[in-house]
Amino acid sequence: MSEKNEVLFEMKNIEKIFAHVHALDHVNFDVRKGEVHALLGENGAGKSTLIKILTGVYTKDGGEIFMNGKEIEINSRDDAADAGIAVIFQELSLVPTLSVYQNILLGKEKSKFGFISDKAERNEIQALIDHYGFPVKANDIVETLSVAQKQMVEILKALATDAKLIIMDEPTASLSSRESELLYKIINQLRDKGVSIIYISHRLEEVFNLSDRITILRDGKNAGVIEKEDIVPSEVVKMMIGKEISESTASRELHTSDAEVELAVKNLTHLGYYYDVNFEVKKGEVLVLTGLVGSGRTEVIRSIYGADPFDKGEIIFEGKSIKPTIKKSVANGFGLIPEDRRTQGFSPLLSITGNVAITSYDKIAKGGFVNKADEDKLGHKAVQLTDLRPANPNVKVGDLSGGNQQKAVLGKWLTRDLKVILIDEPTVGIDIGAKDEIYNIIESLSAQGVAVLMVSSDIAEVLRVAHRILVMREGRIIKEFNHGVATQEDILLASSGFVNEKEAA
Amino acid sequence: MSNIVKNNPVVKAILSSSRILVLLVLVIFFTAVTKGTFFSYKNLVNILYSVSLIGIMICGACFAVLLGGIDRTVSGNAALSGAIVAMTILRGGVGGGNVALAICLGLGAGILSGLIHGLILSRFNIPAFLLTLATNEILYGFVQLVTSNTLIYVNGCTLMDYIGQKRWLGIPIPVYIMLVCILFAYIILNHTVYGRQVYSVGGNRQSSELSGVPTRRVILIAYIISGFMGALAGFVLSSMNQQASAGQAKNYENNVLAAIVVGGVSMRGGSGSIQNAILGAFLIGVIENGMNLMGVPAIYKDMAKGIIIIVAVAMDMATQPGTPLYNFMKRFKKKAA
Repeated sequence: MSEKNEVLFEMKNIEKIFAHVHALDHVNFDVRKGEVHALLGENGAGKSTLIKILTGVYTKDGGEIFMNGKEIEINSRDDAADAGIAVIFQELSLVPTLSVYQNILLGKEKSKFGFISDKAERNEIQALIDHYGFPVKANDIVETLSVAQKQMVEILKALATDAKLIIMDEPTASLSSRESELLYKIINQLRDKGVSIIYISHRLEEVFNLSDRITILRDGKNAGVIEKEDIVPSEVVKMMIGKEISESTASRELHTSDAEVELAVKNLTHLGYYYDVNFEVKKGEVLVLTGLVGSGRTEVIRSIYGADPFDKGEIIFEGKSIKPTIKKSVANGFGLIPEDRRTQGFSPLLSITGNVAITSYDKIAKGGFVNKADEDKLGHKAVQLTDLRPANPNVKVGDLSGGNQQKAVLGKWLTRDLKVILIDEPTVGIDIGAKDEIYNIIESLSAQGVAVLMVSSDIAEVLRVAHRILVMREGRIIKEFNHGVATQEDILLASSGFVNEKEAA
Repeated sequence: MSNIVKNNPVVKAILSSSRILVLLVLVIFFTAVTKGTFFSYKNLVNILYSVSLIGIMICGACFAVLLGGIDRTVSGNAALSGAIVAMTILRGGVGGGNVALAICLGLGAGILSGLIHGLILSRFNIPAFLLTLATNEILYGFVQLVTSNTLIYVNGCTLMDYIGQKRWLGIPIPVYIMLVCILFAYIILNHTVYGRQVYSVGGNRQSSELSGVPTRRVILIAYIISGFMGALAGFVLSSMNQQASAGQAKNYENNVLAAIVVGGVSMRGGSGSIQNAILGAFLIGVIENGMNLMGVPAIYKDMAKGIIIIVAVAMDMATQPGTPLYNFMKRFKKKAA
């Protein structure tokens, strides 16, 4: 047991300051040999900054780092690799057309006079795979593997360089539940072989099951370290959030509680994505679908919009059952703010006007011809309605900041007569000031009687704008909260499949 | 330069467009070296005439490129259309009704070809370059079928003689046909909903789709226009030569694409204009013609053309943020400052 508790890696009093903001404030963190150590914290708590320091992407502004008791300096990725630290990237960095062993040895091939002994390499890697018992073969071509298997190749790549400490950042985000199980097994095997793992995940359930210890960060400071046997889910969540947030925005009530239902779905099912989804959105109501990424939220709103199909159930708009296509949806007064604005939201080469007008030619064009003055009017209107900056509708949207790009996407729909707006993660990658402005836009839409159906993972955001909250988990709606009832803790626990003890009691 | 001159819209346009500037420099250069022969009325008309076929094709192919695709079948469509027109007239005589039928069949073949390409490219995720590389060969196969691989002469067809020989105000008819095509493409691209949709889909197909743009139809129509323009160019070509052959218009697609690229139309789609693409054709046309007059051997002409294309692409990259050349220029400018 003494060997098990031996500390492999330690960070002491780590500091990092970005433009006067203390991103990390005297943070301590240590990992034992053969331990799975989870790093928990909300977005912006300092997790990624800490990881970037220990992998050499950032340099620390203060503190010390020890490996096997010896102080080390990590100033580059190479330093980190030399120290035996490896990261499993979320975006897999494999060459799809090469085999597993070729990928693992990429850049590390041993050659004699420029020639490589293929057979020796293959056998060497197969031996490594057998040692850890991974379900892949050295000869497999990477593009034929599943996502989980590709991750294993990434892990093998790390192991082949004698990594002692492997960092996994949201490794299950893109895995199915069966594949995740496989990964958990691999992680346990690695631990048994004495490899240490730093595990980062939003899925509390898997964190609690896998981890030997959990370090919790909050606002760039240590909020606690918990041993496996002491884990109590609601306590951990409290540590992540800090003080329980009172319903700060409860003042904003739905004045239209007796308003008519604008949009409803009944038993909506898209096999493999979501099942038996039921809800109603009233005129002027903001209904938020929350839950973890991959819980089926985005797929639901895409089906409602007509961008994706569904298998069973019904979509009801203004009392009539509809079979949506994008064209019909736009004509019916629907709008969509898609999940990833860069790939789905706008044409970067076109001006604000060009992007905004594209949804409205059914209104402003005559006989297929466009009128420049009408387009310009629309562009100006969009700039005005969203307070876009710079306030020049001729600027290319690709040249705008993230927040203003999102406003341009909103402008596409605000300039139309909207009845329903579907909004997917509207503030990802947007600075705080612009976030607030986007919330104000959503609130003013609601005040005008537009039915708002929004998807969001940002719990503070959910609490701020929602009249009603539905929590989705693995394709099903598992919980409903009315405005002012839910706390951050409730939502976080429900998303991860736990019941808040307070409530159960 | 005084402000009055600087603020003149024509001067402004010239100064702001590097291509017009280069064209101007080339014209002055060739005029000087050829002691004025280059700038003679006769030679300028020659240039116009030599660019007209490529110009007509650009008016179609440009749509595909703006959509982020490419249409290499403009030459195959031209050859097929020319062959069909010539064969139909050869078989059915030069009567008015038969000539009309011949033209309908020729242009119809181009439209059909465009329709098929458009249907495939709008529905399946096949690289347009590969598809049209292959189908252009198939089209040339059809041309050989239609012509039985022989040279077909067309004699006595009034309309084709008129197009091929006649001049208005001293300028050959094909030049007027090109101008009409340019006007057509310009109006479509700049003043219609369809034009706006072309730029939108070319810039981001997914976002356009989610905004309610019928992206498949937009792509389909683009290739139909391209097929039509190719076929029209083929008919004009047969009129100019009074003949059709299995190899006619071969490799024109490379000149068309070279002109579009030199004209600064982005191969990734979404940006560029028909005016600049045509300007690109004139740049290449002027260089070819100038070097002809200077008596430069053919091999050097091809080399010069290649260098011009590289320079044009480099100029575009230098103005696009993120490319190595852009970063280099930025550093260079900083050092200079």
